[in-house]
Amino acid sequence: MATASSDAPPRTGRGTWPVHDGHDDLFGANVLLVTGKGGVGKTTTAAALALAAADSGRDTLVVEVEGRHTLSRAFATPPWDYHEREFRPGLWGVALDPAESVYEYLELFYGLKRVQWMMERSSALDFVTTAAPGLRDLLLVGKVYEIEARRRDDGRRRFDTIIVDAPPTGRIVPFLQSPTAVTEIVRVGPIRRQSAQIREMLLDPRRTCAVLVTLLEEMPVTEAVEGVGSLADAGIATGAIVANQVVLPAVDGPDAGLVAAWSAPDVIAAAAGVGLDLDAPDVSMLQRQVADHRRHLARQRHLANRLATGSTPILVLPDLATDAVDVPTLQVLADTIARQVGAEGPRGRDVGPLVRDLLEGDPEDRDDRGRP
Amino acid sequence: MTPASSAHGSLSDAVDTATILVTTGAGGVGKTTTAAALGLAAARRGRSALVITIDPARRLAQALGLDDLAAEPQPVDVDAAGRLDAMMLDMESTFDQLIERHAATPARADAIRANRIYRTLSSTLSGTQEYMAMEKLHELHDRGDWDLIVVDTPPTRSALDFLDAPQRMTSFLEGRLLRLLMQPALSAGRGYLRAVGFGATAFMKVAGRVTGMEVLDDIADFFRAFDGMYDGFKARAAEVLVLLRRPTSQFVVVASPQPPPLREARFFVDRLEQEGLHLAGVVVNRLHDPGSGHDPAALVAAADALATDPEPEHRALAAALALVAHQSTIARRERRDVGAALINRRIPVLVEVGHRAGEVHDLDGLAAIGGRLTGEVAAPGDGAPIDPGDPGDPRHADDADQSDDHHDQPRGRP
Repeated sequence: MATASSDAPPRTGRGTWPVHDGHDDLFGANVLLVTGKGGVGKTTTAAALALAAADSGRDTLVVEVEGRHTLSRAFATPPWDYHEREFRPGLWGVALDPAESVYEYLELFYGLKRVQWMMERSSALDFVTTAAPGLRDLLLVGKVYEIEARRRDDGRRRFDTIIVDAPPTGRIVPFLQSPTAVTEIVRVGPIRRQSAQIREMLLDPRRTCAVLVTLLEEMPVTEAVEGVGSLADAGIATGAIVANQVVLPAVDGPDAGLVAAWSAPDVIAAAAGVGLDLDAPDVSMLQRQVADHRRHLARQRHLANRLATGSTPILVLPDLATDAVDVPTLQVLADTIARQVGAEGPRGRDVGPLVRDLLEGDPEDRDDRGRP
Repeated sequence: MTPASSAHGSLSDAVDTATILVTTGAGGVGKTTTAAALGLAAARRGRSALVITIDPARRLAQALGLDDLAAEPQPVDVDAAGRLDAMMLDMESTFDQLIERHAATPARADAIRANRIYRTLSSTLSGTQEYMAMEKLHELHDRGDWDLIVVDTPPTRSALDFLDAPQRMTSFLEGRLLRLLMQPALSAGRGYLRAVGFGATAFMKVAGRVTGMEVLDDIADFFRAFDGMYDGFKARAAEVLVLLRRPTSQFVVVASPQPPPLREARFFVDRLEQEGLHLAGVVVNRLHDPGSGHDPAALVAAADALATDPEPEHRALAAALALVAHQSTIARRERRDVGAALINRRIPVLVEVGHRAGEVHDLDGLAAIGGRLTGEVAAPGDGAPIDPGDPGDPRHADDADQSDDHHDQPRGRP
């Protein structure tokens, strides 16, 4: 029942599946911005990455910017607020809020204690926090910058890894370019200076990397591939592409061939032999579902190969087919990440066969198609 | 053709009689595909339909003949009794169009476009896209060229934003802050500032210190340029709302069977009711195939018993049974989640669309989904003979870029 054997020769012409070499590679940047098309599991991936980082001994902060409390819910903690909270050993959470950032900023730099009250009265806050996403984004990115710049007494960074559940791909570039936009508008003063420093952090691949999450479906893959490009155009490195909710092969090619050639009476007799009462429509249904499954795997492979054309390392997260994301689910995903980057760990799914299946397909299929 | 337990009815009435259908729901649930499928179904049933899409998948866009940016309705080459046109809203330039259309003079429009604040904020000013979708709907409806207009809604953070957007944009543009910012530049009477109070002047001082007065002047310019346009925005937003409240304007709420999109669907259903808007029905996409009535546990037990069988045929059966048990467990849970999310809501129609229809690349695929939505084709697992051709032929298993994943062609209508 095994898929392609692990010693299958590397295929020519398609390159190799780019992978991370250890945790230091995956968590090489201080800030990981996790993005992807809506609905691809961006938040779940951010949470799983954060767990994997914390499990590897890094002091890790997970940052929520959209105020939906989905991360805190996934970790089964009370909603996070503007102050970092350690909710698991080595793992902190924070929910950024543009309004709080404004207050903090003005208090910090101008010692203005009454600003909050003033701004609420003048409805300036509406402008800053809702009507002008450029400013809103700058405040959020600026807060990430402030956190990244923090140091412990011994000079090490306060957080080894900062994982941001960032806006979706469609909005990520404007989000990250907000400091640039502001330097265009504001020619002098502290805001301009700080914007330039924030830009410096974003453009340095040792400090900031994007992680693009996708499903192996057409639109999300297209958006992920384009996302890598537009982030690169904006000067932002992509550290990993995560193929999420990848269906694990349950019926291999040879078995699928046997299923397709079934004779219904034989199958009904075989099932009866183990006490299962099947009828002819059941047999057709089994054949249909196996065919659907094989088609789905084929489509996954096709789309995985589109992702694998570049040099960006790829992580695969299996479809665990769970209902709600909970901590045990996240732990399985985190362990799966750890295994893929070559870290020691007894738990987690070994997705090696899945990865090989994605990239290479069944030897059986290959022979049938007569493709290399 | 027995509908699955929780599904009931079809959207055929809406497709046959509505004049406006708005698809809405969380991002990534298949809204655009559903909108296109509804338009195509209407055309196949003899109506003349227009689909206004936003950001369709490349293959879907090609299927609709929208490879090039089609800011005006284009005929779609369909073999149908009626007619189908499609267009795509270009979200990049919507604000520019808005300015062009409503600025008092061309000079005023130029002044707005040249403003540095405008250049930075225009593409992201919240509510703009939603407002433009609504304004376009208004304009095209006025033309009277179509029996039915299907509108896809932008992928907003929350489906609810869509209803609030026109209001939010207009209230922002005419808001207090705006008048406040314009005040110093206009050097109008001090009475107003006094009325706003201490907070206002203090804010201006702080803002000036932080950003430099130059920026404030830009902001003031920006809003002054809009002066006189607010009334037009407001009037049209109000008209669109009247249009949407008519009984022939109906909403189709789209979801996928995970708790978050289902939660969003429920909120939207509630919101429609509060607003006096009409719900045609809820569409749940990408449901797993329930397979059969067999208890998954019985399937797993049989699979386990066969898994060690020396006969390869039997091991293949074991693998197939385990697969179906898994799928059917998911399918049952999904249907339970759908039921739980919509509990105690009056849902006139609930249509379930199978997992296989998840990705659509051509008009046949769209027609298949349209057939599901109008009740012409049974859902997978309803006992309909799907895919009479080549179930399980591994040679076909790799045609990933062929549209071989929707064999449930519509039956019963041409």
